[in-house]
Amino acid sequence: MTTVQLFITCLADSFFPKTGEAVVDILHRLGITVDFAREQTCCGQPQFNAGLRKDARSIAEHTIKVFEKTTGDIVTPSGSCAHMFRHNYAELFEGDSVWHPRAKALAARTYEFTEYLVDKLGVTDVGARWDGMLTYHPSCHTLRGINVDKQPRALLANVKGATLVELPHTEECCGFGGIMSVEHPELSAEWLKRKISNLEMTQSPTLVVTDAGCLMHIAGGLNRQKKSQRVVHIAEVLNHQ
Amino acid sequence: MDFRARIRISLENQSLQTALDNNTERRLKGRAAAFESIPDWRERRQRARAIRADVIEHLDEYLAQFIAKNEENGVIVHRAKDAAEAIQIILAIADSNVSRRWNENNADDRSRRTPLLIAKSKSMVSEEIELNHALEKEGIRVVETDLGEYIVQLRHERPSHIITPAAHLRKEQVAELFQEKLGIPYTTDSPTLTATARKVLREIFLTADIGFSGVNFGVAETGTVCIITNEGNGRMVTTVPPVHIALMGMERIVPDLENLSLMLSLLPRSATGQKLTVYTQLLNKPLADQTRHLIILDNGRARLRGSPLKESLYCIRCGACLNACPVFRELSGHAYIGRDNSIAPYPGPIGSVISPGLLGENYVQLAQASSLCGACKDACPVDIDLPKLLTRVRAGQSTQPASGDGKGLSPSTRFGLQLYARLAIRPKLYAASQKFAALGTRLLSPRSQWIRLPAFTGWGYSKDFPRFAGKTFRESFIKRDARESKVSRLSIVTLTATSGDVAVQSNKVEQFAQELTALSGHVTLTKNPTQSIIEFLDARGINKIHLEPNTLDESLLRKADIEFTNTPDDQILVGVTNAICGLADTGSVLEADGALLASLLPEVHIAVLKSSAILSSLSDAIKFVKDKSAAVFISGPSRTADIEMTLTIGVHGPKEIHVFVVE
Repeated sequence: MTTVQLFITCLADSFFPKTGEAVVDILHRLGITVDFAREQTCCGQPQFNAGLRKDARSIAEHTIKVFEKTTGDIVTPSGSCAHMFRHNYAELFEGDSVWHPRAKALAARTYEFTEYLVDKLGVTDVGARWDGMLTYHPSCHTLRGINVDKQPRALLANVKGATLVELPHTEECCGFGGIMSVEHPELSAEWLKRKISNLEMTQSPTLVVTDAGCLMHIAGGLNRQKKSQRVVHIAEVLNHQ
Repeated sequence: MDFRARIRISLENQSLQTALDNNTERRLKGRAAAFESIPDWRERRQRARAIRADVIEHLDEYLAQFIAKNEENGVIVHRAKDAAEAIQIILAIADSNVSRRWNENNADDRSRRTPLLIAKSKSMVSEEIELNHALEKEGIRVVETDLGEYIVQLRHERPSHIITPAAHLRKEQVAELFQEKLGIPYTTDSPTLTATARKVLREIFLTADIGFSGVNFGVAETGTVCIITNEGNGRMVTTVPPVHIALMGMERIVPDLENLSLMLSLLPRSATGQKLTVYTQLLNKPLADQTRHLIILDNGRARLRGSPLKESLYCIRCGACLNACPVFRELSGHAYIGRDNSIAPYPGPIGSVISPGLLGENYVQLAQASSLCGACKDACPVDIDLPKLLTRVRAGQSTQPASGDGKGLSPSTRFGLQLYARLAIRPKLYAASQKFAALGTRLLSPRSQWIRLPAFTGWGYSKDFPRFAGKTFRESFIKRDARESKVSRLSIVTLTATSGDVAVQSNKVEQFAQELTALSGHVTLTKNPTQSIIEFLDARGINKIHLEPNTLDESLLRKADIEFTNTPDDQILVGVTNAICGLADTGSVLEADGALLASLLPEVHIAVLKSSAILSSLSDAIKFVKDKSAAVFISGPSRTADIEMTLTIGVHGPKEIHVFVVE
C-alpha cells in the first residue's frame, strides 16, 4: 500500500485546512495512505524571497530534517512550495556539501498535488462533480516555476457537470507575490484589480487555484470589493461529489 | 522621494498607463506571432543560452581574438575600465578631429569654429555612462537620431524603455513637443511627425563630424561589429560622417558568424516581433576615408562576471522581459529609481539585476518590486533565470562580499519574517502561536471570516485578510490507512506538448516575395531588369539615379536618357544596387560596400536580385559577409514605431524598396 507524506504548507494549515482535508480524501479514495509529519511548519519561502537567506536556511534545514525521518513521496497542495523545495533549496544550499545533497533528495520526492495525480498516478479523472461554471487561474509558481499546467487543466476537464471557461490573460500574476503584496501594496493592488476584472468577464462564480497564496489574495480582494465570486482550491473542487 | 512614492506617481498618471498598456499588448502579441515562424525556438533558445554561457566563461580569450581581428581590419580599439575612462577616450577622439578640421580651414580662432557635432544612434551603454551630459559639458553638440531617443532628448529625459525609448509618451505629447521645439503646426499624424524628424536629422547626418553608435554583437572570429536598427539612423552614423565611434559593453561577444545568425533569429523577434530588423549591419573594415574607433567598456562587468549575478551578462538587450513584466507595465522606466532618486539606466527585471550589479547599492531596492512571477524568465530569449537573480540581489549578493541581506526590505517586514522564522523551527511554539493568532483574529473580526486591516499594513491597502482557522489542519488530521482503491484509476493519459507544424515553403522566390510584400516592399519578376527599371522610372518621371556600377545595362540607360552617377547626391530620389543575395524567410536582401550609400540615401531603393541567389535564411547567407568591409541585410523600407507604437514607414533610410528579381 502506497503511503505519501503531506506537506500541508503554512497557509493551508493556518487558514484553509479544508484544502488539506480534500487532498487526504482524494488520495484515500485512490488507495493511498496520507501521513502527516507533525513537526512540519513552513518551507521558508517568505524569508527566501525577501532575501533573508540565513533565516530561510534555518527553516529549510528544519524541514529537511522533519521529512528525512519519513518515507514515501511528499505531496503538497501548492506549486509555490513545491517550487521552493525543488529549486530554491538547491539555490540556498549551493556549494554546501552536507546540505545540498539532502536538499536534492527532498526535492526528488516532492510533487505538487495535481502533478502527483496526473504524472505519478496517471489519473486525470477523480470522479468529481461540480455543477456550474469554473475558471482556472494558474499560479505563477505552478505554471512557470515547476511547469505544471496541463495536469490541473486535465483534471478539471473531467469534472462532471462543470463548464470550464478560460480566464482572459490567465497567465498574469494576481499580485500576491508573497511579501510583495505588503512591501509594494500599490503595485499588488493594480494586478489584483485586473485579475478580478478578468474574472468578472468570464461570468464564472468560481475561480479555481492551486495555491493558498493566490487564494487568500484574490479572495481577500473580492471580499474587500464586496463581490460574490468564490475562490476555491482545486483539491476542494476535485473532492466535490 | 522614495521608491514607493515614485511608483504611486506612475500609477496615477492616466496618460502613462494608457501608453504602457498599448506598448505591452502590442509587444506581447508581436513577439508571440514572430516566434510562430520558428517552431524550433525552444531548442534555439537553449543553444543561444549555451553560447552566451560559453562566451562569458571564456570572455578573455574571445575578447583577445575580437580585438586582434579588429586591429587587423584597421579599426582603432580602445578599452575602458569605467565610465570616466570611456568618456576620456571619446573626448580625446573628438579633440583630435577638431584639430584636424581647424588645420584644414586654417582657422585658429577657437571662438569662430562651430561646435563639434556628434550624430548618435541608440546606445544603452552610452546611457549607462551618461555620455551626452559629459560631451555637452565640453561644448560638443550631441544629437540623438533614433526617433524615440530624439524625442526624449528634446524633452530632456532619459529613455523609458531600452528598445522603445519614448514608450511612456502619447502622440499628443510628441505633437506638442514638435510644435514647441521644431516650430511645426500641431499634428498628431505619425507620418508627418516622422517626416519632420527625418528632415531635421538628415541635415545632422550630412554635417556631423562624428557618428556614434552602440554595438549589438561583436563577432570574435571576424571582428565584425553587428548593429541592428529599423530607421536607418544606425546606417547613417556609421556610413556618412568621416569618423565612427562604436561603444560596446565587453560582454557583447559571439564566437562566430554562424552563432551570430542564431542570435539574430531570436533578438528582433523578442524585441519588436520582427523576423529581422530592417537593417542588420555587419561592419568589418572602415570604409574608404573613414576612421573607426571601437571602445570596449568594462564598467563593472568583469566584477559581475565573478559574482553570483554572472548569468545577467548573458543578456542580449532585447527588452522582452520589460514587456512581459507586470511591474514594468505599471511603472515605465522612469520610476526605477535609486536611493539618491537617480533613474536607473536599465529598467525592468534585467535592470533590477544589472543596475545594482554594475552600479552598486544605490539600486538594490529595485529588486524588491517583483512578485517573482517568472514572466521575465519565460520571455527571455536566452533563458536567464531572472527571478533567481532578483532573489540574489535581495540577499545582498550584488556586492562582493555580500553586504547584509534582505536588501530593500522595510524594517517591519524584516522583523515579522525573522520572528516567524524563529517560530517555524520550533513546532510546538509554532502550533501554540497559531492558536493564539486564531483567537486574536476572532476577536478582531468576530462575525466575518475576513478582517479589514488598515492600509498602512500593506495588505489592507486593497484586500481583506482571512481569519486564522479555529481548528488548524494539524489539529484535525487523523491518519486513515487506505485499504483498497474505491475509485478505479479511470483514465491514464500521456500529456504531450503540441507542436505547430509550419508548412515549408518550397518555392523560395515565392516566399521571398510574400515576406517582402508583408513588410511593405515590392517585388517584380523580370527577364530584363534594365528595361523593367527604365519603365518604372518613366512612370514616375525620374531621369537621374544613384547607380552602383555593373548593376544595369548602361548603354540601355543612356538610350532611354536616364542619367546615372555613383556619387552621393541628396537630390537624387532613386538608388539602384545589385543585391548579393536574398533571404526567403525574411524577404531580405544583402548589400555591401559599393552599394551602401545608394541603398541608404535616396527615398527609393531598387535592388536587382538573381532568383538563383535567393537563399533560405540568414544562416546560409552570413558567410558572404566575411570578405566585405561592411554589409547590411535590408528587410523592407525603413520604419519606426517610436510614436505610440504606430508603425510609420520611411524614416532615415528609404521609404520604398523595390526588388527586381531576375529569372
